[in-house]
Amino acid sequence: MASLLVLPIVTPLGTAVLALFLWRHRRAQQAVSLLGAAALLAWAVALLLSVSRDGIQATAIGNWPAPFGITLVADLLSAMMVTLAAIVGAAVAVYSVATIDARRESFGYHPIFHVLLAGVCGAFLTGDLFNLYVWFEVLLISSFVLMGLGGERGQLEGSVKYVTLNLLSSALFLAAVGVLYGTVGTLNMADLAVALQDPRVDSRLTLAIALLLLVAFGIKAAMFPVFAWLPASYHTPPAAVAAVFAGLLTKVGVYALVRVFTLIFTHDTGVTHGLILVLSGLTMVSGVLGAAAQGEFRRVLSFHIISQIGYMLMGLGLYTRLALAGTVFYLTHHIIVKTNLFLVSGIVHRLKGTLDLASLGGLYRTRPILALLFLVPALSLAGLPPLSGFWAKLLLVQAGLEAESYSIVVVALVVSLLTLYSMTKLWTEAFWKAAPDAAEAPLSAGEWRGLLLPVAALALLTVVLGLGVEPVLALSLRAAEQLLNPAEYIRVVLGGRP
Amino acid sequence: MLYAVLAGFAGAGIAPLAHRALGRASGWVLAAIPLALTLYFASFLPAVSAGEVIRWSRAWVPSLGVVLSFELDGLGLIFALLISGIGTLIVVYAGGYLAGDPKLGRLYALLLAFMASMLGLVLSANLILLFVFWELTSITSYLLIGHKHESEKARKAALQALLVTVTGGLALLAGLLLLGIAGDSFDLPLLVARRDLIAAHPLYPAIVLLVAAGAFTKSAQMPLHFWLPGAMEAPTPVSAYLHSATMVKAGVFLLARLAPLLAGSVLWYGLLVGFGTLTMVVSAFLATQQTDLKRVLAYTTVSALGTLTMLIGLGTPAALKAAVVLVGAHALYKAALFMVAGIVDHKTGTRDILRLSGLRTALPITTVGAGLAALSAGGLVPFSGFLAKETTYAALIEFPWLLAASVLANAFGMLVALVVGWRIFTGESQVIPDDPGPVPVALWQGPLLLGIAGLLLGVFGWMGEGIVAHAASDMAGQRVPVKLALWQGFEFEALLALGLSVFTLLLGLAFYKAHGLLLRLATSLDWLYQRGPYRLFDLGLAAFVSLAKWQTQILQHGYLRYYILTVVVTLLPIGVLLAAPGSPVWPVTFGPVGLFETALVAVVLASTAFVMSTDSRMAAVAGLGGVGYGVALLYLSYGAPDLALTQFAIETLSVVIFVLVLYRLPEFRVLTTRAQRLRDAVIATSAGAVMTLLVLAAQSQSGASRVSGFFAEQSVPAAMGRNVVNVILVDFRSLDTLGEVVVLVVAALGVFALLKLRPEGEAH
Amino acid sequence: MDTLLAVLIGALYAAGLYLMMRRSIVRLIFGLVILGHAVNLLIFAAGRLTRAHPPIVPEGAAALVPPYADPLPQALILTAIVIGFGLQAFALVLFRQAHRVSGAEDLDAMRTTDSH
Repeated sequence: MASLLVLPIVTPLGTAVLALFLWRHRRAQQAVSLLGAAALLAWAVALLLSVSRDGIQATAIGNWPAPFGITLVADLLSAMMVTLAAIVGAAVAVYSVATIDARRESFGYHPIFHVLLAGVCGAFLTGDLFNLYVWFEVLLISSFVLMGLGGERGQLEGSVKYVTLNLLSSALFLAAVGVLYGTVGTLNMADLAVALQDPRVDSRLTLAIALLLLVAFGIKAAMFPVFAWLPASYHTPPAAVAAVFAGLLTKVGVYALVRVFTLIFTHDTGVTHGLILVLSGLTMVSGVLGAAAQGEFRRVLSFHIISQIGYMLMGLGLYTRLALAGTVFYLTHHIIVKTNLFLVSGIVHRLKGTLDLASLGGLYRTRPILALLFLVPALSLAGLPPLSGFWAKLLLVQAGLEAESYSIVVVALVVSLLTLYSMTKLWTEAFWKAAPDAAEAPLSAGEWRGLLLPVAALALLTVVLGLGVEPVLALSLRAAEQLLNPAEYIRVVLGGRP
Repeated sequence: MLYAVLAGFAGAGIAPLAHRALGRASGWVLAAIPLALTLYFASFLPAVSAGEVIRWSRAWVPSLGVVLSFELDGLGLIFALLISGIGTLIVVYAGGYLAGDPKLGRLYALLLAFMASMLGLVLSANLILLFVFWELTSITSYLLIGHKHESEKARKAALQALLVTVTGGLALLAGLLLLGIAGDSFDLPLLVARRDLIAAHPLYPAIVLLVAAGAFTKSAQMPLHFWLPGAMEAPTPVSAYLHSATMVKAGVFLLARLAPLLAGSVLWYGLLVGFGTLTMVVSAFLATQQTDLKRVLAYTTVSALGTLTMLIGLGTPAALKAAVVLVGAHALYKAALFMVAGIVDHKTGTRDILRLSGLRTALPITTVGAGLAALSAGGLVPFSGFLAKETTYAALIEFPWLLAASVLANAFGMLVALVVGWRIFTGESQVIPDDPGPVPVALWQGPLLLGIAGLLLGVFGWMGEGIVAHAASDMAGQRVPVKLALWQGFEFEALLALGLSVFTLLLGLAFYKAHGLLLRLATSLDWLYQRGPYRLFDLGLAAFVSLAKWQTQILQHGYLRYYILTVVVTLLPIGVLLAAPGSPVWPVTFGPVGLFETALVAVVLASTAFVMSTDSRMAAVAGLGGVGYGVALLYLSYGAPDLALTQFAIETLSVVIFVLVLYRLPEFRVLTTRAQRLRDAVIATSAGAVMTLLVLAAQSQSGASRVSGFFAEQSVPAAMGRNVVNVILVDFRSLDTLGEVVVLVVAALGVFALLKLRPEGEAH
Repeated sequence: MDTLLAVLIGALYAAGLYLMMRRSIVRLIFGLVILGHAVNLLIFAAGRLTRAHPPIVPEGAAALVPPYADPLPQALILTAIVIGFGLQAFALVLFRQAHRVSGAEDLDAMRTTDSH
């Protein structure tokens, strides 16, 4: 049992170490990377099954009991997020082998990619606030390196903003941890939840810390108005890197927000969650408007990440069972779909040598399969049935209507229309219209298959998640129940091992 | 029944392959799918006519109450037969119409997928399921309108249709969800049983408005109609199928489906009758202003949709009966006329009614089909169109104004029928340039069969009485008696209706004579088109893009310092919170102040000030070292020797690295204005104050550590270490240290890569 | 004394943030470094100050004897110092390369990835 919680962190780290030892052997590194990603996926699924069957699980590292040592905890949300990270990891690992150039590979691309996955999984699994900071830094430094790797001008300029704003976020996060420890003297998140129940703790200070964390995680999640680092940088690195960033990184921020605002800071939901709800609406709108102003494939997609972060936060802001299930399901849907769209953008770039929409075109005629594989995630992103995005939207809208928060529902619906507009823009410009320059880079059949395999797999997953929505939806609802009633989480962490 | 719906999707999956394998015959072969469906649905005719409702359901998303639940009642069956029957002819027709088009396979796929979606829509007995199919029809319609996607006009029309219908779709979604909340279920039959509950619910008005918005966009009610004439950019088989016979009726169908739930209020009545009547009359008039054959037909379609909306809004048994008859009759003749328009276009290369004449010699069989369909459209005896018009008039007798409007609209319709069925086929035969040769069977079979069907259904209308009665009853929520005969007897209503039919005919002929005049009016009405909803849509889209650009300029301007400023400003409310009276930070006391520590604080502050003010980079690095060493000494004086040591070591290393890297970086230059510096200083100081307040607030709390006692006691016995800080790092919290090492390794790799890996073509 | 330290932390934050808001790439990195000191000191100060009792168990004793400085914040800061050093070193080299490639010494000139 315990090992299942450790494996999603240890496996990618081990993979990274192994790949480092094979520094000079590109082929061997590729093989190790693929195997490591497959193993991670296997462990993640095993963990999810186990948590789904037996309930929340916790394991104390080094057998130092909570709250003294560091505890890893997997509730359904964590297990689902780890599984998603593993799915993205596997898809992008395959795609990386097909696309990442030898120069980047010879400078540690594969090991650092796996360290990134370890950081992401660590963040999802840790039950300790300071340890969360550490995993954040692990995934940040890996993402910094991956973003800058290659040293092209756009990459470096984008990185300056990405690095600076994320370091600022970390500084605020760390400050909040320090203040929190000074206030209640503990770092274990379950223990923090208990300690903050103490009426002697000043409620205003609690609120202040909550707001500080909202800013810190808000930056990482690319929330309004502190999202600027994302559109400045996400379109600059290679598609594989952008895809894993787009799929996972901001979602760690969202995860952290969900975690602390369901487990720790639930005293003053009128203020905190009300504020999150307002910000979620602004995030949706500013993201989608940003996308409408763009004329480049990946910039459009980058802005849509922001707008969809808004949807996830909407569920947190509404803070009901259905709404939180909406957040969880939206996360699931979005991670798969967004990763896929970035992978598609990489193929388009490979074919046409540009992502400038004005210079693209003609791909519906020449590459119908690619067109279909774009359309599935694109329409899902816009929330069209019966794809996964529809159910995600449905849950949130339904939750909003039930909570009688009509304004946020209107915003959510209008933004989904504008998202559709953006997706049709990409479709029209890249696929439908005649290409100004008909030339396409030649691709061997093998290369083509390597590129399409992960994209097709993720698209299939989107369809399956749409048509066979019930299992994941039921899981999301159960995850939401766990989030809404943290007593069980606290009991498992503090009350000895299950 | 699920398989019947899924068959179309399966067909869509194999269509491109089938087309590649079969070539020219593919249309005939693929038509077997809709044909089989037609026969399948027809087999239910006796049972449904007898009042049976066939149900099928399976769980789909039980967590949300979404059930794969299908229901074949009178209304559903009529629509299903129209969809699959016309679908059969259309698939064959498309094969002829687009023969040789490399994307024909994809067109088949989309047509079949559309058909399946439409079938799903009319058979759904669950609101969410219905919505799923509703949206699928929108998206397939988008892709079909854009079939000629290399034409910008086609792309634009497709986008317009999509945006308008999806906007309506979103309203509908909200409406259906509210309906689900009000009735506590998504199950249609169950909701019908709870209609009183829903009618009394405070959400009822919102539900009606939202549902109507959805239906009106889809069924092109004015002023949301403009996408439909635009959609005529689609290939004609698509126009005939989606934009006359089936998809545009989805909105009307929805109103019919929900009528038993929602009808009965002034709001419902007013919305439907108001917009329906307006649409009926205005678009019938606008039809006479067009010269493009397809646009003429499109506007008459809009008019018929208006009539249907009005009839459903009236909600009387007679009106609902008329609606059912009109749905059937209209689908048959309008699809036929569209196919005729396609054949004419195919043959002559133009659709301009002013340039077409005497086509009877070139298109003999088509002429027959067109004639039959036009007679039905004109509402002449003994065609089904006659039945539709008669029942409509009979239903409107109690409403004189509506009756007058209907007569007027029908007279315009008569004019159009004459133009389409008479004018272009008679008169002088024209010379056809680039004649593509004789029209193949695949093309003329459609209009001919539909024309004949329109005739037969008129003559043998009584055979459909059962099904029509049940369809109308499904809408009315009560039994509606139906008698369908060409001769209705000598009652006053029947005679009046007949008299009005004759009057309509005469009025139509008069309009036909004045067609030239009407067309001249069109040019003088040009200003209206320039400012109409079509133009508004364009302007709205342009305004939206401008807004988007403006907003993005503000939020994503590219100045890092303003991004940082934004973050810093978001911290300030925390300070307000903590500084307000009653905050735990007050009162602030300074307590005993040690001399050594005060001196250290002064050193750190002075060094910081020096870093900020010096013009020399190297001096600034020295100042930075001063800050670091000062902080280290502070650690030392407060019982943290390990921290101090580490800080010393790291600081020294940092200074070395800085010196190595900095000489490659630019000299300081003052780039900002005084005002900017002042602003930044104020904001930064405020943010600093926020952090001070946070520390003070934390210090004000009891703050006893819940964990350190454990470390103090267990370090030696359990972890064998005397330096507790070290024990925490390597044992109690070893996972942190693991992460820390990983960060260092990756940072080192990153620095190495940054220094060594340059873009290709750049010298090291 | 706690209050004095709190003021110092505030001043360091203010200085760090102010420097980060300059247009000079060098001042940006200086700001980040000062911000790092500020955060570490904040953890230290918020976690209570005890003068001169390092958390080291004397020879012969089995446990710490109060009063002793809370060892946990110290451990956290140690981790944070090292992590911060790694990130700052990387950031420094990154900024230097960005400057080398773009030729810009003014951060305002590095806007190519935002504008469109």
